[in-house]
Amino acid sequence: MSQLRLAWVFFRLGALNELEYRANFFVQLFQALLSIGTALAALSIVFSHTTALAGWREDQLVALLGIYFLVGGMINLVIQPSMERLMEDVRLGTLDFTLTKPEDSQLLVSLKQIEIWKLVDVAAGAAVLLVALIRLGAGLGLRQAAAFAAALLAGGVIVYSFWLMLATCAFWFVRVQNILVIFQSMYSAGRWPVSIYPPWLRSTLTFLVPVAFATTVPAEALSGRLSGQTLLGAAALAALLFAFARWFWRRGIRHYSGASA
Amino acid sequence: MATVLLDQPTVFPMPAARHQPLPEAAIRVHQLRKIYAVHEREAGLLASLRSLVRRRTREVAAVDGISFTVQPGEVVGFLGPNGAGKTTTLKMLSGLLHPTSGEVRVLGYVPWRREKAFLRQITLVMGQRNQLLWDIPAADSFELNRAIYRIPREEFRRTRDELVELLELGSLIGKPVRQLSLGERMKCELAAALLHRPQVLFLDEPTIGLDVTMQRRIRGFIAEYNRRHGATVLLTSHYMADVEALCRRVIVIHHGRLLFDGDLATLVERFSPHKTIVVELEADTTLPATQLPDDLRHLLASSGTAAPADGRLTLRVPKAETARVTEQLLRALPVADLTVEDPPIEEVIEQVFAQPAERHETYG
Amino acid sequence: MKPMAEGCNDKRGLPMIDLLDAYAAHFKAYIALQLQYRAELVIWLLGMVLEPVIYLVVWSSVARSSGGQVGGFTPAGFAAYYILFTLVNHATFSWIMHEFEFRIRNGEFSPRLLRPIHPIHSDIADNLTYKLLTSAVMLPAAIVLSLVFQPSFATPLWAIPLFVPALALGFLVRFFFEWVLALAAFWTTRVAAINQMYFAALLFFSGRMAPLALLPAPIQAAGNVLPFRWMISFPVELLLGRLSPSAALAGLGIQLLWLLAALAVLHLGWQQALRRYTAVGA
Repeated sequence: MSQLRLAWVFFRLGALNELEYRANFFVQLFQALLSIGTALAALSIVFSHTTALAGWREDQLVALLGIYFLVGGMINLVIQPSMERLMEDVRLGTLDFTLTKPEDSQLLVSLKQIEIWKLVDVAAGAAVLLVALIRLGAGLGLRQAAAFAAALLAGGVIVYSFWLMLATCAFWFVRVQNILVIFQSMYSAGRWPVSIYPPWLRSTLTFLVPVAFATTVPAEALSGRLSGQTLLGAAALAALLFAFARWFWRRGIRHYSGASA
Repeated sequence: MATVLLDQPTVFPMPAARHQPLPEAAIRVHQLRKIYAVHEREAGLLASLRSLVRRRTREVAAVDGISFTVQPGEVVGFLGPNGAGKTTTLKMLSGLLHPTSGEVRVLGYVPWRREKAFLRQITLVMGQRNQLLWDIPAADSFELNRAIYRIPREEFRRTRDELVELLELGSLIGKPVRQLSLGERMKCELAAALLHRPQVLFLDEPTIGLDVTMQRRIRGFIAEYNRRHGATVLLTSHYMADVEALCRRVIVIHHGRLLFDGDLATLVERFSPHKTIVVELEADTTLPATQLPDDLRHLLASSGTAAPADGRLTLRVPKAETARVTEQLLRALPVADLTVEDPPIEEVIEQVFAQPAERHETYG
Repeated sequence: MKPMAEGCNDKRGLPMIDLLDAYAAHFKAYIALQLQYRAELVIWLLGMVLEPVIYLVVWSSVARSSGGQVGGFTPAGFAAYYILFTLVNHATFSWIMHEFEFRIRNGEFSPRLLRPIHPIHSDIADNLTYKLLTSAVMLPAAIVLSLVFQPSFATPLWAIPLFVPALALGFLVRFFFEWVLALAAFWTTRVAAINQMYFAALLFFSGRMAPLALLPAPIQAAGNVLPFRWMISFPVELLLGRLSPSAALAGLGIQLLWLLAALAVLHLGWQQALRRYTAVGA
């Protein structure tokens, strides 16, 4: 009986919260739809003059767009806020509170701050992706789907590790916040397939700021362009970066604790 | 018999207007009112749902019909607890807020019309918000003010040097403002606010958050500035020391209403009907309660003093009874020392604030 | 010593001279201020340069796959368009609509309202100072982009002197409209959504996403009655030599009309904003 009562309390509190933030939801939804609408309009303007962009058809680019918003939403949901919070904590010296907890510090700082409303962006991106997949119709076999999932996972790990490495630099260089702005700027290039860019930009977007792995590579998996080689390379890079990021993180913690002693 | 002052004023402000024929009042306020509409919602799920459809508004009067006049050169203190309406009043006087009703004239202008000629003659300093640019030296912000207020260069140099000297700024103005301590920053803000030699100064909690030495210095500066230039000063503060040191005249605001307008001395006299008698008994005296005359025992009991502790007795007596009780004490007890004091001014003010919102006393 | 009487200040001279003096003083202060944030200034520019480059690459790719040109633009033509667009965009942009919410929340508006000068002047000075400092980066960036993308210019000589007023008018129209947009912060905290709508309109109608000639006809028609073309696209079209002399002069006239409209909206908007601020408080 008390469980029912407890459930009712949670429900009531949850509903109260929801009503309070109902406006937030609608605003976020509006903004997400506006972003997607704008991007789709731009796409259609481009495709009013051509039928293929560097070999990519319109529906494939819509799928890419869906992935772009989906991954972007994930980044803005948890990775970006947590990393920014981490750098702020390092700057203000409040990281100590996190470090004294018994859990793994890297896990804690990575999940510290969540912008719950970005879930709307993720959902919107997923919806666009779904619509694009439906229109792409047949040709999406199990192997392609698996490759897509693997590519997406690898891309996510790569982006996360990249952010963590950047944020860890804050242990040594305090004013490193602005570097994150660079990623945001470069991520916008992920709306289009990386192959259209001149070689120097392509390399930058692949190896310097890993935007390509976040968006283009999973999209390639969906449209059947992904070679096993590239997928393997992405997975290897993901594992490598993750290991390095973790090692770098531990170095940073040691430096931080030593410095504040 | 001295009132207990926490800080001796260094210079007692004399309004310059005393020596001139009486000019137009510097500030004239009549039935000033500022009413805010506040959205209200009770806690609870049903109320949340209801609030989606219909919003309930409650009217809150931040300032509720105050009137007063300030002559040029006066230094007036605004006293009141948080939320009493002091800052709201200052904002209406400086043009930042538009009153709901009532009349205000500052130097003959209507403040919220924000005429340039008006803005050039006033200044508002709010303790926490700054006008100085954060990352550059204060001296650069001073230059900016010079241009904005159209101050002739020669005059600007003279005023700036005078302010630097009075506030003991020295090399501080060459350092970026973010490198200054809170007190140093406050001094620079004051200097910046006075570069255009305003005739009316609105100071909102100018000493808040500062250490005692700095508070004293700033009080001294304001007093000296008023003495030299005859500027009208309206000062709000939490700290009695500010008001005691600077203001001959005090306006007490509470619940948006004017509770008192007059001399500080009159305020104390009017609102503190008690005096405190402190008696020190001769060494090695034990005082069994039975030895005391009845009414003295009553008095002790009623004033909450039990048997005297370590030879010291503190009594609160109604003013009228002071002489009689003193005589009784001297007769009945082996008194080594006896002092009659006014209660601390904070206590007086608390009493005033404890008044219900209806009362209004003016002592010219 | 008597307090200063009001008349003494007026003997300084005409108000315009004082305004220029105020601007000069602002420039001095803001240059010192902004130089402290060198790194941030440059990083902001990255996005401003990258976005046109992206569109440049996209449209060049379309041109190449469509027989070498699209809507009269070759890849070299696109390069010229977008490099010029980057510079004109940099010269006309502002960030004021993001700043007002911050100012109001922190009570930073009150000191500005106490000054005997319209608060827009310090914002204009701040904006121009930023552009002065960052042009030291933008101009070399434009040169580098030219070396990489090989633009081709067909600028007629008469267009060059006309470009200066076109750019100035474009800046003023854009700045005033964006300042009014920023005033929305007095009424709501949801300025992010409002700003996003503005930038979406700007993206299409100012020629940012594509040269206006490439847009579908109904959108172009809509764009002609909106001010966005006159903020950025028009000066670019002018300098690229895509307008006839009469069209160019007519365009300058339309810019002037939009400037008057912007000033009217600014005046009304500011009055309303002031009324709101003084009713509700900081």
